[in-house]
Amino acid sequence: MFETSSDAPATVAVVTQAIKEYVDRLGPIWVEGEISELNERSGVMAFVRLRDLREDMSLSVMCHKSVIAAAQPLPPNARVVIYAKPSWYTKNGSLTLSAREIRQVGVGELLARLEALKNLMASQGLFDSDRKIDLPLLPKKVGLICGRNTDAEKDVVENARRRWPSVVFEIREVTVQGALAVSEVSAALGELEADVDVDVIIITRGGGSFEDLLPFSDEGLVRLAASCLTPIVSAIGHEKDSPLLDLVADFRASTPTDAAKHVVPDVAEEIEMIAGLRNRAHRRLMSVIDVEFARITNFKDRPVMKDPGVLITSRSEIIMALRDRCKRGFSGHLKLAKEELVQIRARVRALSPQATMDRGYSVVQLSTGEIARDASTLRGGDVLRLRLAKGETNATVTANTAKE
Amino acid sequence: MAEKKISYEAARDELAEVVAALETGSATLEESLKLWERGEELAKIAQEWLDGAKKKLDAVKP
Repeated sequence: MFETSSDAPATVAVVTQAIKEYVDRLGPIWVEGEISELNERSGVMAFVRLRDLREDMSLSVMCHKSVIAAAQPLPPNARVVIYAKPSWYTKNGSLTLSAREIRQVGVGELLARLEALKNLMASQGLFDSDRKIDLPLLPKKVGLICGRNTDAEKDVVENARRRWPSVVFEIREVTVQGALAVSEVSAALGELEADVDVDVIIITRGGGSFEDLLPFSDEGLVRLAASCLTPIVSAIGHEKDSPLLDLVADFRASTPTDAAKHVVPDVAEEIEMIAGLRNRAHRRLMSVIDVEFARITNFKDRPVMKDPGVLITSRSEIIMALRDRCKRGFSGHLKLAKEELVQIRARVRALSPQATMDRGYSVVQLSTGEIARDASTLRGGDVLRLRLAKGETNATVTANTAKE
Repeated sequence: MAEKKISYEAARDELAEVVAALETGSATLEESLKLWERGEELAKIAQEWLDGAKKKLDAVKP
């Protein structure tokens, strides 16, 4: 190289020529980046601005238009790998990469790399379920990282407010696509994680192409999210999209609205649930009381209770029955006795001489009471008692006329 | 209100016993009368417990 000093400075031409020689010694290299500008207006050459995938840095690239044509179709912000040689233009002292080949980083390749990253992280246990933190039932502040005035943001905020009017948000609107997304989302995440009041962080963006969602599978961002102590809700893209962020998040919401639903309880639902429980308790108690009521009424309706008189009437019925039986029994005896009497009387009457006496006979009795049957045994002067059909008299024997 | 010395369940269960005794009819007349009076009293106590509970519930009707 050559010496210079303030007295003997080198001329611009010399300096820029020296730089050129130095740069020319650098061989061609493969460079990955994102085409943020593509200018094919003048001449045969095309000018491209190649931006770094993570950092806010870029290089200018120049190539023959055919090189661009070979890599078509190039979507906006296409992610590419280029084979280029750094060149120094002495005229204006600028460095550009002159590209010999531009290759689009195919979705397939991206997927493959993503898969590899995923397996690596899985093996490191970053996706383990026991790492997941439960979401707070009622967060003090809800951190929200989303695109600038996007539908996603509106959905989250409106739904959360409707469910829990007093919810407080800490919103960070960032670019959610392309090269800047990773650095801005990471910065926002860092801030919200540091904020003590933020109890949960939602990271959300609307649907988009595979490339659009790629930042949310960026290793740096995903590892940062995994390291956060504040629970993270990831609501990226549509139901089918599943960037790596979903796997480290503490809850994966299918849509921004779904995210809102899981971050704040629905006051109306809670009130209704409580009312429902009170209602069920009340009904249960009412039925218990009704059942017991019926049992008591049943007891009271039992004959012995309802009509105590039955205690007495049933007994009096027994008594009356007994009396009847006595009466019947008694009258039975009576009848019997009467009949017997009649018979006895008839017999007495049959035995008694009355009937004969009625026919004119009388009964003669001695003083001893014996009946005089043999005149021969009578002596004169014996006193006899004569029973006539009607009444009695006495007589004394005067003469005894034996009758053979 | 009658002085509630026994619980609702106690009143209900004793009432059940009284009714059973009366229905078997083995008690003397005098015992039966006493049983019947006890039955009435028990029924009253049980009733008061239930009415009280119902009133409390109605007061809080959601």
